[in-house]
Amino acid sequence: MDPLVVTQTVNVLYAVTTLAVLALGLAIVFGLLGVLNIAHGEFIMAGAYCAFVVTQQGWPFLLAVPLALVVCGLLGLAVERGVIRPLYQRPFDTLVASWGLSLLLRKLAEAIFGPGYHSLAIPLPGTVRFFGADYPTYRLVLIAVSLAVLAALWAWYAGSRTGTRIRAMVGNPDLAQALGIPVTRLAAGAFVAGTCLAGLGGVMVAPLVPVQPFMGLDYVLKTFFVLVVGGLGSVAGLVGGAAVIGGIDSIVSAAIDSTYGYFTVLVVAILFLGLRPRGIFARR
Amino acid sequence: MTKVSHLFTRRRMLGATVAGAAVGLAPGLMQAARAADEFKIGLFIALSGPASLFGPTQKACAELAVEGINKAGGILGRQVKLIPTDGGGPPAESAKSAVRLMLQDKVDLIIGSHDSATREALAATIKAKVPYIYTPVYEGGECGNNLYCLGETPEQQARLPIGWLARERKAKTYFIIGDDYVWPHKTNDQAKKYVAANGGTIAGEEYVPFGAPNKFEEAVTRIKSVKPDVVLITLVGADNVNFNRTFAGFGLDKEIARLAFLLEENTLAGIGAESSSNLFSCMGYFANNPSAANKTFKAAYTAKFGANAPQLSTIGADCYAGLNCAKALVDKAGSTDTKALMAASEGLGFDTASGHAAMHGRQVDKTMFLAGCKGTEFEVIETYDDVKSGTACKV
Repeated sequence: MDPLVVTQTVNVLYAVTTLAVLALGLAIVFGLLGVLNIAHGEFIMAGAYCAFVVTQQGWPFLLAVPLALVVCGLLGLAVERGVIRPLYQRPFDTLVASWGLSLLLRKLAEAIFGPGYHSLAIPLPGTVRFFGADYPTYRLVLIAVSLAVLAALWAWYAGSRTGTRIRAMVGNPDLAQALGIPVTRLAAGAFVAGTCLAGLGGVMVAPLVPVQPFMGLDYVLKTFFVLVVGGLGSVAGLVGGAAVIGGIDSIVSAAIDSTYGYFTVLVVAILFLGLRPRGIFARR
Repeated sequence: MTKVSHLFTRRRMLGATVAGAAVGLAPGLMQAARAADEFKIGLFIALSGPASLFGPTQKACAELAVEGINKAGGILGRQVKLIPTDGGGPPAESAKSAVRLMLQDKVDLIIGSHDSATREALAATIKAKVPYIYTPVYEGGECGNNLYCLGETPEQQARLPIGWLARERKAKTYFIIGDDYVWPHKTNDQAKKYVAANGGTIAGEEYVPFGAPNKFEEAVTRIKSVKPDVVLITLVGADNVNFNRTFAGFGLDKEIARLAFLLEENTLAGIGAESSSNLFSCMGYFANNPSAANKTFKAAYTAKFGANAPQLSTIGADCYAGLNCAKALVDKAGSTDTKALMAASEGLGFDTASGHAAMHGRQVDKTMFLAGCKGTEFEVIETYDDVKSGTACKV
């Protein structure tokens, strides 16, 4: 097969899977709790800075994963308790509050690490040859890790007792509480899971991009588009949304250029908002 | 005697009281006198927005220049006062700040280190009422009245390095990638001329939306299939970092040379050592350029701001040049009258961080350095003296 076609195909797969993982935390926080977390990108940034700290200390890269989970988990816990908890059922207020939070987190990163760019050495440098094309090893590993994370979450959400309780809480919070489900704790747990997953996404992309206070802005728009297209509350919707947004962007960028790629993404997002506001799999 | 001595004491008392009162009042009086006599300069630098990583260096370099100017007697014999203002936000915001600087602070001069969109907004607001010195690397061709441009032009950045690549690297085919706004387009128009002049061809040209969350896997894959000898990069900031990291990640850095037009120390730190081989930049200033002037400049900078001072780069050093240019220009003209300034600008000489610069046609002919990246440092390969700006405005 033509190596150009092979590489561009893997590029599409890479774009879709990483976007799905980056949007995962937002899907939980927005899709299940109805919290419009504009600071989602800043949690990704926090995860990326964890990876930066780990490599700067000369520790193995994988240590960034537990560190990011701890940092973003504690941060998420504090934010849920202090900012978000009084605002459930008031999506617009959560938007404004988390916007303020995003400014604060950005400035915090600037105060600690300075405003400049940081770069991390890629943990798995080099390329792998398959079907006549060379593809960067680290990106291939990211595709595999992303698929594994999505599969694990889907299995857990569909099969576990906590998954069932969360679905009950989303369906009817009052009834769930009446049945003895600890709704407050469950919501806090879901929020923290969302910020932890954002941190994990940050660790994954950190070796590929400049780690800097503004990096979160690059992710917040696209991840919201994923939810607009995919709809809220299901793993299939999330993957579908990521496939549409990431796939279209990547395919059009490959076929024409990335200006048209970005343009097409915006058009698709607007069309979905107008014609299918509940997402791709919603039944009328 | 006793009477006289008594009188003396009374006189002394009186005198002392008056003197005391005068001393008590003096700081206020002197401050008022000094404020009226200060030479105020509005300085537009990136205090917010994505370019704000340059803000600390810009401010520090400007302060260093002001210290030197004030020690040497100020401008027109008046002490210089800097008013740092944000030029990193939307152009309309900067324009509003310019109005405030002119009407409320009554600045004598404005210096700006910011992007071209903001320059256009500021030039339209200032309307030549106060002199405006625009300092950073830019696309050339700006001839607004009472506007003086110090930065590297495409002519200065492209002509000699493209000749060098053709000669030393036997480069024949070039691929162009840039952000989609005025600076990359105009720079590439010039670059294409020099590619053709050296017998090269353009194998591809593409632009990515400016300010969008860009990723470069697709573009890099396309470049890989085209296999050019050189990629000319007019991406800025994070796009520049992302592209170069992706480029090296796909293993293209070994075979294909890259010449970037806005690549300075901060961007290179983001690109990182493992993605910077075969990457070149041509600028009027690098922090480790070997000139004697730079050694003196760096020693003064470190002495004033310490070892942890903000990273020096061409963005920052341009503010230093801007203030020295302001002093030379206004002192030579003897006033801030537009006609006198425009006339004085021709042939004006002033000090920059890397040596001496000469203004012709309200642009600057300067020494340029071609550097290759060694890890996260620049290594100057070629020094080109007195490179012409390629723009000549009416004076």
